[in-house]
Amino acid sequence: MKTYKQPSTIGRFGEFGGMYVAETLMPLLLNLDKSYKKIQKDKKFKKELNDLFKNYVGRPSSLHYAKNLSKFINGPKVYFKRDELNHTGAHKINNCLGQILLAKKMGKTRIIAETGAGQHGVATATVCSLFGLPCYIYMGSKDIERQKPNVFRMKLLGATIIPVESGSKSLKDAMNEALRDWIKNVRDTFYIIGSTAGPHPYPKMVRDFQSVIGKEAREQILKVEKKLPDYLIACVGGGSNAMGLFYPFLNDKKVKIIGVEAAGRGVKTEETAATMTSGTPGILHGSYSYVLQDKDGQIKEAHSISAGLDYPGVGPEHSHLKDIKRVKYFGINDKEALEAFQTCSKLEGIIPALEPSHALAYLIKAFKNKHKNKVVILNMCGRGDKDLFTAAKAIGFDADE
Amino acid sequence: MNNLDTLPKKKILSLFMTCGFPTLSQSKKIFNEILSHQPDVIEFGLPFSDPMADGPIIQEANKLALSSNLSTQQSLNLIKELSKSKNNTSFVIMCYLNTVRKFGLDKFIKSIKNIVDGIIIVDLPFEEESEIKKSLSKNNIHLIKLISPMTDKKRAQKLLKGSKGFIYYVSATGITGSNKLDFKEINKNVKFLKKMTNIPVLVGFGIKSKKDVLEISKKTNADGVIIGSALIQKYFDLKMDLNKYVIGLKKFIQEVKI
Repeated sequence: MKTYKQPSTIGRFGEFGGMYVAETLMPLLLNLDKSYKKIQKDKKFKKELNDLFKNYVGRPSSLHYAKNLSKFINGPKVYFKRDELNHTGAHKINNCLGQILLAKKMGKTRIIAETGAGQHGVATATVCSLFGLPCYIYMGSKDIERQKPNVFRMKLLGATIIPVESGSKSLKDAMNEALRDWIKNVRDTFYIIGSTAGPHPYPKMVRDFQSVIGKEAREQILKVEKKLPDYLIACVGGGSNAMGLFYPFLNDKKVKIIGVEAAGRGVKTEETAATMTSGTPGILHGSYSYVLQDKDGQIKEAHSISAGLDYPGVGPEHSHLKDIKRVKYFGINDKEALEAFQTCSKLEGIIPALEPSHALAYLIKAFKNKHKNKVVILNMCGRGDKDLFTAAKAIGFDADE
Repeated sequence: MNNLDTLPKKKILSLFMTCGFPTLSQSKKIFNEILSHQPDVIEFGLPFSDPMADGPIIQEANKLALSSNLSTQQSLNLIKELSKSKNNTSFVIMCYLNTVRKFGLDKFIKSIKNIVDGIIIVDLPFEEESEIKKSLSKNNIHLIKLISPMTDKKRAQKLLKGSKGFIYYVSATGITGSNKLDFKEINKNVKFLKKMTNIPVLVGFGIKSKKDVLEISKKTNADGVIIGSALIQKYFDLKMDLNKYVIGLKKFIQEVKI
């Protein structure tokens, strides 16, 4: 087998990826690509980022053996890679720190970002506060409603939140508006994209910054189990936490890798966010990848109880990994995710975000009474605090807001 | 024969309108009105669900057009029907790449061959265009290039090499229908482009009135203008009354034809 080496210099993962944006943005993306290549070789940048990872984020995040859940599943030994313990409560901060250091190096003075669940918005607002840069967060009005705690967090951190009323009023539309803002303010603005989506070099850059997750997990599991894991499992919306965990293992052919998408009300319904199960290749937000679209290429609205997975596209690298069959992708519906959310809370004393609850649900469903003596690492990419109201409502608990 | 090859030397007028806006049947009336003025170029916008380079007015037009489930085929049929009375007017399609891809490039070109003179694919940059450009040029359809104030000299040279039809110079770094015009900067950049190309350079984005058109003509070296959002805005200004809108369009187009 050949060593995995993606993307190409023009940002292609196999046939996926690329740079499909208006000419107004092209010079910026090319410049960003150049600057990113340059800082990758910069030792000072690496040191600065590592210091922040250690002292500001609290890395390395631990690898926790989820004994009770493993017993409940009666199958493999399950480890959680606990990126939910990071400062700001999710993996998103890893990427934001990398990108804001780059923005600083490029002399940019204004930061914009899109957010769905609010985790990326909070992480962006956090790093902007740390580096003293003005921060504008685009967020769908539907998400503002269902992620109130994060909205307040961003405000406390000094960010300006711009509600997006177009389309489905969720992540896709927030990204459209952020891109429009960027086109309008090209000279001074840096757009911190939160997922492995968007035009090149974002999918590569975000993956690289997130791959600290997989690098740590690899070292940690070798230490405790003296072998590589048999399975990796992570949820996939745009796909940044998953790419972060998967990437350092892609050349380890014995490690089986599973991505779990949000199937909303089911992969066969119109109300889904399972792009790779229900979608077809197309172009959204500057990149060629699987998307939910109709026969004329109009992008469909996604549906998921989890705002972070409610996206009709997916990062191009995932599309490639699906097509070369390196990673298998499955859908988990809202109900299954909610059940896993409760199971994990009760059994492990960890309230997961609704996003990794999808990965948990798949694990419970597919590994129950199976795969004994195997080792699984699941990316616990976010904590559930932000989802308490949504979950309470769905479960039927009266939580007074 | 490609109408874009015989564009006048100066004061070129290009009018943009979204296909199927606000409904397919009303759209026919709107385009007939526009065509009756025989502008040099008509740009037919194919509606897309996620028009990321367009401002709120054209976004709204796209949304209205798509709300009655307008298909790509219906838009192309509309253009074909109108082409019967196109005379010297150049027909240009403006769209996003996913629309063309999903329809099928070959089928798309077959449907517009001998009808459409040029195409602007907003999100198809120079780096990704070679295959599509080849197919288009085989069928005598010009791939129109956008150039922005962010495009530097080296890049502009690459983009201009072998370009046909006209150059769409994005006057403000911005999305359609936004920002103020900076004539000094426009003049500087247009002059610079005209040194490198013989085809007309049209200025688009942010042109709203007769005054703007006159000033572009007087204060810059541009060969003409593109008006889009301002044309569509009238529909909302006139409270979405089609009859009033058609009258309003007539008046507006007469004004901006200088």
